[in-house]
This record gives sequence, structure tokens and C-alpha cells, in this order.
Amino acid sequence: MITFSNVSLIYPHSTKTVLEDLSFQIEEGEMVLIMGETGSGKSSLLRLINGLVPHHTGGILAGDIEVDGISTRTVKPGGLAHLVGIVGQNPIQGFVTDIVEEELAFSMEALNVAPDVMRKRVEEILDLLSLNSLRNRSIATLSGGEQQRVAIGAALVMQPKVLVLDEPTSALDPIAAEEVLSILHRLVHDLSVTVILAEHRLERVIQFVDRIIYIEGNGETSIGSADEILKNSDLVPPIVKLARALNLSEIGTSVREVRRHTDAIRNRDYKEFKSPEKSKSPAILVNQLSHSYGDKKALNNVSATFHQGEIVAIMGRNGAGKSTLLHSIVGLHSPDSGKVTVNGQDPTRLTGAVRRRSIGYVPQEPSDLLFASSVHDECNQADRDNQLAEGSTAALLHRLVPAISLHAHPNDLSEGQRLALVLSIVLAANPEVLILDEPTRGLDYRAKAIFGVALKEYASHFNRPVLLATHDVELVAEISDRVLFLAEGDIVADGTTLDVLLSSPAFAPQVAKVMAPKPWLTVSDVVEALGDSS
Amino acid sequence: MKTADIVRFKGASLFALVATSTVSAIGFLWPFFISEKQGHPQWIFLLATPFALLLLLISVSNKSLDSKSVALLAVLSALIAALRPMGTGAVGIEPMWFVLILSARVFGASFGFLLGTISIFLSAILTGGLGPWVAYQSFAAGWIGLGVALIPKKVKGKIEIAALACYGIIAAEFFGIAMDLQFWPWTLGADTQLSYRAGAPFGENFSHFISYHFLSSMAWDIPRAVFTASLILLTAKPVLHTLRRAHTRAAFMTPIEFIERVKA
Repeated sequence: MITFSNVSLIYPHSTKTVLEDLSFQIEEGEMVLIMGETGSGKSSLLRLINGLVPHHTGGILAGDIEVDGISTRTVKPGGLAHLVGIVGQNPIQGFVTDIVEEELAFSMEALNVAPDVMRKRVEEILDLLSLNSLRNRSIATLSGGEQQRVAIGAALVMQPKVLVLDEPTSALDPIAAEEVLSILHRLVHDLSVTVILAEHRLERVIQFVDRIIYIEGNGETSIGSADEILKNSDLVPPIVKLARALNLSEIGTSVREVRRHTDAIRNRDYKEFKSPEKSKSPAILVNQLSHSYGDKKALNNVSATFHQGEIVAIMGRNGAGKSTLLHSIVGLHSPDSGKVTVNGQDPTRLTGAVRRRSIGYVPQEPSDLLFASSVHDECNQADRDNQLAEGSTAALLHRLVPAISLHAHPNDLSEGQRLALVLSIVLAANPEVLILDEPTRGLDYRAKAIFGVALKEYASHFNRPVLLATHDVELVAEISDRVLFLAEGDIVADGTTLDVLLSSPAFAPQVAKVMAPKPWLTVSDVVEALGDSS
Repeated sequence: MKTADIVRFKGASLFALVATSTVSAIGFLWPFFISEKQGHPQWIFLLATPFALLLLLISVSNKSLDSKSVALLAVLSALIAALRPMGTGAVGIEPMWFVLILSARVFGASFGFLLGTISIFLSAILTGGLGPWVAYQSFAAGWIGLGVALIPKKVKGKIEIAALACYGIIAAEFFGIAMDLQFWPWTLGADTQLSYRAGAPFGENFSHFISYHFLSSMAWDIPRAVFTASLILLTAKPVLHTLRRAHTRAAFMTPIEFIERVKA
């Protein structure tokens, strides 16, 4: 279906080759994952398939790419629209209309398809992607998973033979991600659509894919089945890390497989591991907090206490009230009823420098905090605001991401770099509490590890609380001490990370699923427990 | 081979631009030339100008617009159309000209022309003020966009901003005169001191017009000019920076090369 022969790509104004001498073939009905670190060229590879690169971006393309026998050299992206459907990283940016049905019909309307054909295809897609109950809904009111499904539907109405997706599950909670992946799985198996996707969250997709294309940092690429590639790669999901740590002869890609291999290990007895009790002094008090948007109740008499030095993860479905809770604590809006105090102060009354020192807040869209025209300007501004020596913020930033260019425009940075920049700016004020709203979207494993270390350091070194809303169970398992689980505006679970994550099948991390009923969440937990007993 | 260029008038579309602009220029200036007392030759121009605009837009949209230009044009005209009624139009305060002038500076005169015509048309639809005068306004705004080309490309920095602000003053006054010219023959009735008199010598009509212009609309044109120039002075730096960045990112006219192999 897709043939790459000796493909190399060089972008304009650059001497670096993004992809080097890449040759492979993808058959009809295959599902292929492209993995690699941020900036390794995953998105470029995806956009080479429908000719957006280089026809829209410029650059030098060596070698040849054929899709269903058509070379992208001669045909412009528009000429491949019927053949290749593409779903971007952030589907909401690609929507043109307001209503689900209209969005599905849009591309056919643009190509002047007959009304009866359009009608029929829209119905088919609604059934195929189980969107029927949403057909008249406004797209803006849909959850992330539903939006992703609509975006896939809008690409599928043109009946493409190839579907290309850039990080389809990065912004989704685990349940919505399952939803999207099972639909992709069905498309591949029932309709023999060829699916090519790039994804950082390997643990989610690895069990579904037939082959993996791994783009390494040095520009080399390897292609093979999941087992072959994961055996030697640097980027691996926790489940493979576990297999490596336990020296299993075979690595598995699904929980079921690895469970079979680890029977013996699970059946042994181990000393019970006790985490040291931390001394508790309350920092943030939330008392009987309620908040609603119009008729919709977002928070319902929520009470909680957050202590100094504690990393608390706030989890729950999209729309469960996570962001509302954080906004109330940050003081972005005053609550309808109830009270919030942060180190004894009312957060809605804080202003200016006092506010920056009291509460550090990284919003869901970090770029909302960036308005200067270069990284350098942003850092200097932060230094001036906080009366620091010039270069302090930049130094902090370089510790987090060494390779960042100070002259780049903040909008040209990758997700991870942008998050690091915002985090450095927020931390430059040395805030007494740190609050982050879904910070790990679009981060690869390496960036996430650095980010986790930075948060842990902040919490333990200064003995200050960190609150983060997130869907990323693996991150929560790694760094947080406590989990607060929200549903429909209520706290449904509040306890140590271990208790909360183990009790929920959907939100349990992979290692916990493999090792159940043993109380281990991460690879290091397992290694530690094994080490103690031997 | 190169990626698609930002829209530019050349060849047939350049001819269409010149031809239709001439027609509509006559549409503005006819009161000074027409000496026919009988009949109503002015009606011809009132009809010809919208048709000229339509013809021009069709000739452009037929080939020279690629998707990136369309997207850019759409976003900026939506912005301008939304900004225009924000000043409520009272005493000529329309916070839109600065965006048009700065965009034309970055994306070129041809783009500026299209942006001017389309955004006026769009804002007329938005505000419901659709009528024969819209075509005149569209052409006038288009010429303002086109005229930005008078500022040399190599002018940079503070001088560039000063030049753009001066141009803003000229443009605002130009727009005022053009609108008056379009309106003047139809208003006032036939027998005042300032009226258009069909068949009168050029000098008489011209002096009537100038007095009319100064009496009726300086109260609009001066605030418009001051407002536009100050907006340009205030916003030029960040707006030019943002637009130039968009220009780079959209990769207009970036070379594409297809080769067999990268040399080792």
C-alpha cells in the first residue's frame, strides 16, 4: 500500500537530515506504530505519506514515496485526499463546523458529492464509530475521546485506504483511549484500512500494532515486529521495562502475556513494604467547596486537605471537575459556596508579586502564560518580575532541557520544551505551592522522567505541596504520594497512590495489572521487593 | 520547484486588476468628466463597479489562490471585518485600517488589495449594510492595500513604522475623499452651492466638491487619520513581528527539491 524507497528529508534553512535513507513497505490492512523521541521526525514521516511534506513546507526529498501506486512527487496533497485520511495531534484545531453531523459531511460537501451519497456515508460512519447518539451535539461540548472519534470519522467519510494519526490518545484519559484504539483495531480488521500512527504512550498502543518503525535519535531507523524492536530500543513501555528488570527470556506486549511469564514471581511471599510516615502540616485547606457553571454542577461540597511536601495527583474522567478544583485553589474564580485557604490566605485576594510567590500555576495550555516573542525575552521577564539575577530562569530552564534555543519563538517549541519553559518561569518565583493542570500531554518518556524528577525535587527539597491533575497513570505511579479521584464533582476516592490505583481496574498502571494482587505499582517497586526477599 | 507563492497579480490577473480598477476609478471620477445633461450616465457606473469587483475576484480565484493564501486571507479578513464595526464608525473611528496596512506590508501589495476588498465586503455582510456603495468601499480599501507597495522594501525598523504611520494618514484621507466622491453627486439635491452640476466645467465641479468635502467630512477624516496612525505607531512592532513569523512558517516560495539520494 505504502512504499518508501531510500527516503531522506532535509527541511529548508537546515542542514540536518530528518530521516535518513528510509526504506520500507506497508501492506494493506496493516497497523503500524511510529515511535521516537520528540523532534525525531515522527510527524514529518506521517506527513510525507500524504505529500504535505514537502509540498507545503518546502525542503529536499530524496528517494521516492508511493501510496497505492501514486508517487507523492508528482501528485499534490489535494490529489491524495481520497486515498489518505489524516487526523492531527489536536483534533479541535481541525474542526470546521459546529455540529457532529455537519463535520462529517463537510469534506464531501467541499468535493461536491451527491446529497444522497453523502447522507448514506454519514449514516455509515455514525454507526461504524458509534457516534449515533452524538450526531446532533455541538462538537465543543464533546469529551476528548468523543472529539477524537469525530475527527477519525471526518477522515473516514472520504473512504480512504490509509488512515494517518498523530498522537491520537495523548490527551485522553485511559478509558477514552481504549475507546479510540478499539475503533482503530476494528477498522484494520473489518475494513482492512491501513493505519499508521505516531504515539508517545506506548503502553496503550503496543498490543494493537503489527509492526513498529523506530526512529532513533541519531537518525537511524529500524522496522520490525513489536517484540523485535522493543528488545533493544531505549524507548519502552513499563511492561517491557519490567520484563527486562526481571530478566524474562521473552518480552510480551500485553498484560496477559507478561502475567503468564511471571507466575512464579507473583506466587512467592514477600516482606511487606512500608513507606515512611511523613510528618503532616496542612498547607491547602478546601472546605465544603461547590462550584457550578450555569446549570451544570462541577464541584459538589468537596473537602480536602493537602499537606506540605506532598505530591497529590487529582484524577478522574474528562469533565469530572479536576480543573475546576484546581482553578478554585489557584483563585481563578471565587467558589459558589465553601472556602479555600492556601497557607492561611484566600487565593482570590492575592495579586501581583505576592500571588506569584504564593501559588505557582501551570495551566492546561502552557502557552497561555507565554506572550513574549522569544524564549530569551520570557526568561528575562521572569528574572525582572522576581528580582533575580539576570539569567537565573534561563539557567533553570537549561537544567530541565539542555538543548533549547534561546532565540526560538515560544510557539515554535515542542510541547515538552514549552512545558519546561513555563515550569521554569513559574518556579523562578519560588512559589509556596505548585499546581499543574495536565502537564504531561505530548511528552515522551525521557521528558516525562526529567519532569517527574523536577517535581519530586521541588516537593522534597522545599517541603512544599504539588497538586497535579492528570490522566497519566504511569506518571502518577512514579511520583505521587496520594491520589484524589473525582467523579461528577464528588471525591470518590482519596488515599495513598497504592490504595487508589490498585483498587481501580481502569486506572491501574501496567505493572500493577501484571503483578496483581501484589501491591507494586512501578518497576522499581518490584525490583525493591524482590531485592529485599532474596 | 517551489511551494506555492502567496497570491500575486501577474499575467491575466494583473490585466484584470488594471482593467477593473480603471472602470471603478472612472466610477469614482465621472462627475468631473461627464457633460451629458440628459439621461443618467451615472447609473452605468453605479452598476459597473460591483461587476468589475466580481469579475476581478473570479479571475483571481480561478487559479492563483492556493490553500495557504486562502487560509491567510480568510483569517485576516475575518479579523478586519470584526474590527471594523467595533469602533461603531462614529467620527471615522474604525480600528481596521492598521491591520490592513500592516498585513499588506508583510504579505505584499497584491495580497493587500485582495484583503482590502474582501474584508470590506465581509464586514458589510456582517453588519447588514449591503448596497451599491460596498463595491466602491471595497475598491478604495483594495487600493489602500495596494498602495503600501509605495514604501520601499528595504526600509526597516523605526523608519518603517514611521513610514507606515504616514501612509496610514494618507490612506485615511484617501478613503474619506473617495467615499465623498462616490456620495457627493447623489446627495444635496441639485441646486445648492456645493452640488454636482452635470455639464458644468471641471473647475466649478471640482471646487464644489472640495468645499463639500471640507465642510462635510473633515470631522470624520481627521479623527480617522489620527486614530489609524496612532494605532500603527502603537501596534506595528508586535503585529509586524507576528505576521512575519506567520509568513516564515507558512513557507511561501520555499524551494522543494526531489533528488534520488542524499550524497554521502
